[in-house]
Amino acid sequence: MSFSFLIRRILGAIPLLFGISLVLFTIIHLAPGGPLDVYADNPSVSPEALEQIREAFGLDRPVPVQYVLWLRSMLVGDWGLSIRTGRPVLDEILTRLGPTMQLGGISMLLSFLVAVPLGIISAARRGSRTDSTVTLAAFAGISLPVFWSALLLQLVFSVWLGWLPSAGMKSIGDGSVSDRLLHLILPVTVLSLATIASWSRYIRSGMVDVLSQDYIRTAYAKGRREGSVILRHALRNAMIPAVTVIAIDFVTIISGAVITETVFAWPGIGRLFVESMNGRDYPMLMGLMMMGSVGVVAANIIADIVYATLDPRIRHG
Amino acid sequence: MTRFTRRGMFRATVAGAALTVLSTGWAAAQQSGGTLDVGLTYEIDTMNVYSTGYLGDAQATIVEGLLAPDKDANYVPVLATEVPTLDNGGIELSEDGETMTITYHLREGVTWHDGEPFTSADVAFTWEAVKDPAFIAESKSGTETIDSIETPDDHTVIVHYNTVAPDFASTLFTFGVMPKHVLEGVDLNTAEYNELPIGTGPFMATEFERGQYVVAERNPDYWRTAEDGTQLPYLDRIVFHIVPDSNTVMTQLRSGELDLVVKTPYNQAAQIEAMDGLELVVGPLLSWQHLDFNFRNAMLDDLAVRQAVAHAIDREVLIRAQGGFPEAIKSIVVPVFSMYDDTTPELAYDVDMANQLLDEAGYEMGDDGIRTKDGERMSFEFVVTAGNADDENIQQILMAQLKEIGIELVPDNRAGVAYREARYSGDYDMIYGRWITSADPVYSVFYGTGGANNGQDYSDPALDEVLATLESSLDPEIRQEASSTMQHMIAEDLPSIPLTTNVALITKTTALKNFVPNPTNMTNFVNTADWYLEE
Repeated sequence: MSFSFLIRRILGAIPLLFGISLVLFTIIHLAPGGPLDVYADNPSVSPEALEQIREAFGLDRPVPVQYVLWLRSMLVGDWGLSIRTGRPVLDEILTRLGPTMQLGGISMLLSFLVAVPLGIISAARRGSRTDSTVTLAAFAGISLPVFWSALLLQLVFSVWLGWLPSAGMKSIGDGSVSDRLLHLILPVTVLSLATIASWSRYIRSGMVDVLSQDYIRTAYAKGRREGSVILRHALRNAMIPAVTVIAIDFVTIISGAVITETVFAWPGIGRLFVESMNGRDYPMLMGLMMMGSVGVVAANIIADIVYATLDPRIRHG
Repeated sequence: MTRFTRRGMFRATVAGAALTVLSTGWAAAQQSGGTLDVGLTYEIDTMNVYSTGYLGDAQATIVEGLLAPDKDANYVPVLATEVPTLDNGGIELSEDGETMTITYHLREGVTWHDGEPFTSADVAFTWEAVKDPAFIAESKSGTETIDSIETPDDHTVIVHYNTVAPDFASTLFTFGVMPKHVLEGVDLNTAEYNELPIGTGPFMATEFERGQYVVAERNPDYWRTAEDGTQLPYLDRIVFHIVPDSNTVMTQLRSGELDLVVKTPYNQAAQIEAMDGLELVVGPLLSWQHLDFNFRNAMLDDLAVRQAVAHAIDREVLIRAQGGFPEAIKSIVVPVFSMYDDTTPELAYDVDMANQLLDEAGYEMGDDGIRTKDGERMSFEFVVTAGNADDENIQQILMAQLKEIGIELVPDNRAGVAYREARYSGDYDMIYGRWITSADPVYSVFYGTGGANNGQDYSDPALDEVLATLESSLDPEIRQEASSTMQHMIAEDLPSIPLTTNVALITKTTALKNFVPNPTNMTNFVNTADWYLEE
């Protein structure tokens, strides 16, 4: 793992991102429909008015020309204007990124803190009643559709008990930390449930593999206690498969947890994406998808670095 | 065949609401105060009424126009003191009868939310701003028929039209007036105004959190008072919560976090009736579903075929397929409008009659169950919007119903713009879709020769004349008569078969009083000043 490796990886990502942008641009223009569809049922919007709007947004140009124009302004940091709202794409994305990071970040942290011990216990006590319980719960967590568990929690905690707000990010005129935390409880729980379930499985299987290795037996033979063996010898190696999954999941969450955000009326990136997709808001879609692509590329580079840190034998020449 | 039961139900609802208004007007005093939490299921794009792609629900509480449509889609004065007509001298025709001049007298003592006085200069500015080609807006109609605007004093606006436009009230100045002192010289595409508009309405926009909510606070200096002298509006605050998921909307109604939702999903309406403290209000909507024929197709140009198709359609089934809520219609003028003519003839559901018509016209049943004439099969390309589940269901039903009389429909669905283009250019044999209109729509764009939305290539010079009268006369009686004639002519010649009209299902807390549904594109929130919450 050297500095020059990092530089090479980053430079190598640039042509990749160009390629991705070209493919994305083509795909969203190939998708049926266009940004002016919202006016389809409204007879008072005349064909002339539509033509004017089309020209104003450059939609009358050939698609390749539109791509070059988009790329040129993107290179100088201009993400363009949203067709739907008329506001700068970057502003819109930044407005939505905060809530998404809040919800996603807290859920990731919580998931990590719960999934790691669960996975370890499950692996260390393989076949025990604890393991079966955790396994059963994990499969239940993976199988439960998010929208269903969300509805159920809303019903119990908001409608029946009245303890928690059912949706939204803050109360009007409040917005204190405690108010925001109350609003976070349900969406974080829902988002974490599925993540904990899946991560704990990866950690368990990584751990089970490692625990059967010779060096673990050696560690025991040297008289190490179980806790020490697991934490000091096994965990680092057991985490390697999980790191890949966590890195990719992180990007998924940053790109917005669409269902969770929609059900809990959370003003995040996921909803912005769905809304932009429905309205075929090309500049906004390109902005969001490029952000996601950069995220995936970055997550891969970070995962490589983490591998090397966890396991010094992995060298990136 | 048309069922009037649901219509009757709606009438009863409106009458009930009107009665409530009357009775509470004297019996119980209205209570001031309280916050009304409204759920919107779409993401507000901009708060500017001229450029939003949605109906301006939240905007209607903040921004006012000179006129507004009431619950029956008739115009009533708001910032103007009266609706201009020929009778009251507000509208003057030129000597040659080709152009007109409209004079508005503005209400005095109205101020903008920032305290500046509202004047005729604001009205003139609104026209100039919306007309400006640099301003990207969907709703520019009405700007191009105005030549100039004079403002002899602060409270008089004289609008010179280059034509006679009886629909002058439907867009510009009704959508809203913009403040000149705030927006002059500002780029309207990026103005701060698009986030927090400054209006003259009963509520002031104080907070707009994108993707979350819009807060409209009571305007203490609102120009209206109730009959007993109480300062309007009654409510302290209206909060529009953006809740995109319809299940969550239902949960929030149930938990009391929302008090009013104007768009209840049809499939969840039944739940509402079982909930304490909530009630369902059924209101009309200015939209109608229709089946159109392409007259370039020789068979469809044959009136007997169109009549047979009309006889073969059972609207009951179409309604059931849409949750039972739409209502059957027989005229292209939906029954909410005062122009609706109840005597419009209707071809009842009668398969035998349909078959007989086709037999007599020489269309012979083939072995495959499809009729032929002169060796040509009665097989038509049928276009609906791809991806619209309701429309695609209706398509299947219509295909089955027409199969009964030996007509084959071949689906050729298009999405979005492709559908729109097919509709404009006539790239179909038959097309099913809907129009959503303002109050007092212009019908010549649909059925006039060469009309902008007439992709059917339909042309009837006699109808053109009637449409011209309807759209150039300012005399209510002449217009009513022309409208009746138009409805009869279209029902008889059948360029289009009107099928169903939709209803709005509004869920509200029983504590909200004086709520009257409004079917127009000015939304249910056009008259929030009178609303109040009973404890």
